[in-house]
Amino acid sequence: MQPVLRASDISKSFGAVRALDKARLTVERGEIHALLGANGCGKSTLCKIIAGTVGRDTGEVLIDGKAAALGSPRLAEAEGVALFYQELSLVPQLSVGENIFLGREPRERLGFTDRAAIARETEALIARVAAVAGKGFTPDARVADLTPDQRQLAEILKVLARQPKIIIFDEATATLDRRQVEVFFDILRELKAEGVSSIFISHRMDEVFAIADRITVMRNGQTVAEFAATETDRYAVVYAMVGETGAIAASVRDHRPLEGDARLVVEGARAARLGPVSFTARCGEILGLGGLQGQGQKALLAGLFGAEPFQSGHVSLDGVDVTAGRPADAMAHRIAYVSGDRGRDSALPGRSIFENTAIASLVRERRHVIPGALFRERFADVLAGLNTRYAGLDAPIGSLSGGNQQKVFISRWLSPAPGLLLLDDPTKGIDLGAKGDFYLLARKLADEGATVIIYSSEDSELLSLCDRVLVLNGGAITADLTGDRLTPFELTRASYGDAA
Amino acid sequence: MTGLGKLGGRTWVVTAAALIVLIVVNAVLQHNFLEPSVVQSNLTTFLPLVLVAIGQTYVILGGDIDLSVGAIVALVNVVTVTVIAAFGGDGTAVVLGLMIGMGVGAGCGLLNGLIIAGLRFQPIVTTFATSIVFSGLALWVLPQAGLPVPEPYWRTYAGTILGVPTVYVIYLLAFLLAAFLAARPFMTRLKAVGGLRAAAFQTGLDLGRLRVSAFVLSGLYGAFASLCLTGETASGDPLMGQSLAMSAISAVVLGGTALAGGVGGTLGSVLGALVVGMIGSVIFFAGLPFEYQTLVQGLIILAALAGGVLVTRR
Repeated sequence: MQPVLRASDISKSFGAVRALDKARLTVERGEIHALLGANGCGKSTLCKIIAGTVGRDTGEVLIDGKAAALGSPRLAEAEGVALFYQELSLVPQLSVGENIFLGREPRERLGFTDRAAIARETEALIARVAAVAGKGFTPDARVADLTPDQRQLAEILKVLARQPKIIIFDEATATLDRRQVEVFFDILRELKAEGVSSIFISHRMDEVFAIADRITVMRNGQTVAEFAATETDRYAVVYAMVGETGAIAASVRDHRPLEGDARLVVEGARAARLGPVSFTARCGEILGLGGLQGQGQKALLAGLFGAEPFQSGHVSLDGVDVTAGRPADAMAHRIAYVSGDRGRDSALPGRSIFENTAIASLVRERRHVIPGALFRERFADVLAGLNTRYAGLDAPIGSLSGGNQQKVFISRWLSPAPGLLLLDDPTKGIDLGAKGDFYLLARKLADEGATVIIYSSEDSELLSLCDRVLVLNGGAITADLTGDRLTPFELTRASYGDAA
Repeated sequence: MTGLGKLGGRTWVVTAAALIVLIVVNAVLQHNFLEPSVVQSNLTTFLPLVLVAIGQTYVILGGDIDLSVGAIVALVNVVTVTVIAAFGGDGTAVVLGLMIGMGVGAGCGLLNGLIIAGLRFQPIVTTFATSIVFSGLALWVLPQAGLPVPEPYWRTYAGTILGVPTVYVIYLLAFLLAAFLAARPFMTRLKAVGGLRAAAFQTGLDLGRLRVSAFVLSGLYGAFASLCLTGETASGDPLMGQSLAMSAISAVVLGGTALAGGVGGTLGSVLGALVVGMIGSVIFFAGLPFEYQTLVQGLIILAALAGGVLVTRR
């Protein structure tokens, strides 16, 4: 029998970055197919291409043996492909029924909405998940009044109502508890019995082996292995994700041994999709936050800086309580934060380089006026120390390259030097030379006594820079890797919640 | 959910209560208030605001706003009276004037919609700018107030059709059109667009078409209002309807439609428009000195809005 989906030779570049390089994926009718790989391997891009939200540069997608037109989500839906979104496709102001049938409402005479049919069919859909629907999950309930997991259920029902041939679930279980995951799996098995295929991206190895029939592994934009789930094991899968070179046990880095007392103590920190987590970090330590994207790393950094304060928990630095309610509290304790999303979190667009550097001093030193001459000299020195290339302090920030901009933003925090430096994927989109300067700076600050916490979406960056890496999965710390255990293999394995 | 909680998103219940209070107060102040002829005269006064408020509801539900509707009213008025005069003022000329007037209203709405949804301009600034353009066009078409419409026009408006006052027929037609639209998927989809645009897009809705349709409806209902006002004033006036846009937005908000979009409906806006109209009427008959009337009217609208907001905020 021919497969329901056959994607071959799929390539896609975003600017200079090659996200997919002749990737392939074959899904049989009525199978549950797991798609696995480390961050940036291209699995999400491949799914988006199949679901019509991203276009492909080259390659071919056959559905039921015929070339499929996937130019938009609507076209992909017509081809029988549905992508499960995490809540994004529900309108909170509308009812469950209105949401499920939005855009494809059943009609009666004169084109009027057949509300009775919506109620009836929604009722039938809800009956399929009655075991976990919970209180108040009715066709008329407003989505805004539902609990987060009821919303996810509504999202699943919305996909089911479209009766697709292939459903792509991207991290569908991320917010579900154990019992709900079981129900979700029951739904998948029921779909399978009806001949519907599922493509399933998960961040839990347990789940993959519990539910998947076949597994495709991707690495660096290529499809590197295809397994039948019953004929392989998790080690083989992790090896495929990491690749031969990455699997070599100990790397040749020169990490200093960790000694000294903990100076940063985080206890029971909890946020919307995080924790509670507890950990400590030492003076002079570069601590990495690893794991697949969106497992709570950014929430942890934002919480430490007070940008999105923790709901509960305590943070102390050198014995002083520094639990931040807002960024100004954190700055007062010499905590600094640099984000990879420069446009959103860092830049004062249209302003000069000088203004972009001096801005943090207003808060950190409680100044109301910046003494121009003194500060110009100070920041010119700092920027020169970072090898920043710029025309002059009065040039607009937008005239700089991404890497040089990032140096400007970090220079905000360097005089006086920070005690705790939080880096949120800081080298995203900057050139290799600037990255090198950045790593040197992080190491220098650590040597001078700062504690550096870095989240990176690139595992190689964490492996080459950090003394120690905490791996997060579903908002919890699942591994604490140091020394010989700080390897690509262990990092990937722990990212999938499969800690030793 | 508690009793108060159930009111969430149903400010119109509060507005309906306010309307009843206003009716009682007005009936006390003005002894003949409930006589059929007085009721009809009041409803005639409120009709243009009711129509503009219904049209504005679609735009606001879709997450936009239309500040230009007052200027559309003026432009439709002067175009209509000019066309009627140019074609000799007989029955054919009047029908032609009405059709062209409605076309101008819908066209103004289409222009607003295309600029805002098509070119992605900010609705608040864009419709402010187009309102100046439409006012300018109105002044160009008819620089001075005047140019009377033929007698049959205003006689029909003030008279009856098949024994029913014309004004009531217009109310009925306006409600039927609103009810027709409310029963179709259009309304739900428009709420989705105003509620969470990203979700509406992911679901595959045609955002541009829905938003443009809302602006066209606003322009069209603005034209209806203008033709009614013309029936009352019986002449052209390039400065007609200047306060209508803001009064209508107040009426829509009073009626429980969220300014952010996604929640509400036309029934509430009708109630809101009646409340705004009645406030003016109550103040007039309370015998307040003329110079305080506008101030008091503003304060009462503010209080009514605050009441609605406080209830929905739980």
